[in-house]
Amino acid sequence: MVLIRPRLTDCFDIPICQEESDFAIPFLDEDIPFCLDPFLLWRSPSMQDTSLHAMLVNSFNYLGFLVNKGEEAAAIEILIKASECNEVGLGFSGTRHGHKIGPKVASEILSLFRLIPQIQKNGFTHFEEIQLYIDQISKDRISDIACTYLKSWLIDYTIDQCQKLGIPTSDITLENIYNTKDNDFKTEKVKLPFNPQDKRPILLVPKRWLRWAPWINCEDYINDYFIKDVSEVKDRLTRIQILNFNRQNYDVVQVYIRQKERTQQDCKNDPLFQPIPILSAKRKFTAIKKLPTGKADNADKQYESYICQLLASLLYPHLDFADEQVRTDSGVQIRDMIFYNNRSIDFLTDIYNEFNSRQLVFELKNVEQIEREHINQLNRYLANEFGSFGVIVSRHNLTRAMFKNTIDLWAGQRRCIIVLTDEDLQLMVDVYESKQRLPIEVVKKKYIEFTRACPV
Amino acid sequence: MKSQAEIDKFEKTNTQLEALHNEISMLSKKKPDDAINKFKLQFVNNVLKNANELLGEQYKPFSDFTLFDEDALPTNSDVIMILAQYLNCMEKLRSDNIVCDLGDYYWLIKSQKSKLVTSSPKKLKER
Repeated sequence: MVLIRPRLTDCFDIPICQEESDFAIPFLDEDIPFCLDPFLLWRSPSMQDTSLHAMLVNSFNYLGFLVNKGEEAAAIEILIKASECNEVGLGFSGTRHGHKIGPKVASEILSLFRLIPQIQKNGFTHFEEIQLYIDQISKDRISDIACTYLKSWLIDYTIDQCQKLGIPTSDITLENIYNTKDNDFKTEKVKLPFNPQDKRPILLVPKRWLRWAPWINCEDYINDYFIKDVSEVKDRLTRIQILNFNRQNYDVVQVYIRQKERTQQDCKNDPLFQPIPILSAKRKFTAIKKLPTGKADNADKQYESYICQLLASLLYPHLDFADEQVRTDSGVQIRDMIFYNNRSIDFLTDIYNEFNSRQLVFELKNVEQIEREHINQLNRYLANEFGSFGVIVSRHNLTRAMFKNTIDLWAGQRRCIIVLTDEDLQLMVDVYESKQRLPIEVVKKKYIEFTRACPV
Repeated sequence: MKSQAEIDKFEKTNTQLEALHNEISMLSKKKPDDAINKFKLQFVNNVLKNANELLGEQYKPFSDFTLFDEDALPTNSDVIMILAQYLNCMEKLRSDNIVCDLGDYYWLIKSQKSKLVTSSPKKLKER
């Protein structure tokens, strides 16, 4: 069974949606485009989080201790090992496999413990500062270093979550687990969930630690601090020149860090999915209503774009959006919208049980009338992970003949194809605003209307 | 009416129907096509259930309507329309079960005048 953009929970058939889970549900084929921000641990009211941050920073500062002791080679080795954590699947890679830093970059990072007297003496308070001194340290590198140092805790957290949710685990030999007692990495045999495709281990990360970009990051430093407050007296500098400037002007960087610490209340974890606001949903629906049917002036593309944004938000959190414009294996056909079926409400459980739909496919048609070919097209998609339930989103209700066609499909092949029209979208947007009912209930209503029309 | 208890039930149900009609009318004026929430619908259905028992097949406004289906997402205006029909039918039931005596109206229990006073029929002119 091939799922589109498979996630760990969907793969093992665990019915949980992202909103309900404490962790970011990892994809099996790609990274979650988020970073573990160490600043969120530092600012957390939880003693556990702040202690973990203290451990993280102490472990990083231990590298400075080694450098100052003249054991730079050992420090480089530790830093290289710490620089990538593939098990968490965070970052911006399309494959879940990143690369470690090279000895040259590691040496540059460690040189900070020699070149800047204040760091040599006191170490870092926020190790993400290294982005402000060294080039080629991206935001996901900070996240990876933090994850490697926290790996031992993440293993316990992952085991705990797997036990709670019933996610299968397997005995896996995991490398590069940082041990704070001897400040080195060790290898352990632990029970962890795994990617069924390549059997690689997976670590879960709490949502509360995730942000698009770390609170302290180079772009923010340059755009919102350096250019505004510092560069007035300087000529326009390149990024490399700014990093060099920072190494020579530690106090300037510290003012920025203090400023970020002062505004810590604004530092919040980013939601993994942000539904569009009500006003935006209403505007999108108004724009849809004004669109002509057909393909003139790219109306069909605009229709698909609006509907994708609208439905992904309207159906959240009951249906997690998986992907849009997904090609079939042969590459010939494109399914317009795919949702994970998390069985979060009774109706979705029914769809799962009755039609075996682990993912739901929505086909978008900006046409005046749905024709037999449109229904047949969706019918062809209904196989494997999609089960035998599909939704056509179109402008107007089915004609009597086409509705009869869908009923016949149910009678003959037990396929359920329902149609959402502009009228239904209007109701969904209305209830999205009034909060009196759930937009997903409009889909349920259409399903019930369909089943009542089916022969007994 | 069969008993005083049935009259009590009638008066309670009628009052509840009127209150729901007034409340939901306000919502309906603002957003007639907005779906009514499950919480409200549950209580509307409870009152309609009592009304159906009182009205019986003879007085029920529509033979094929009994209660709202919460999955059908009824709107505010749908609910108002049905409540108005029930209020009228309740009044018809009451008018048929009261009698005038020296200017006052009394309930009939098993077709006999009781001592229970009630108001005059709302559609007095038609009687």
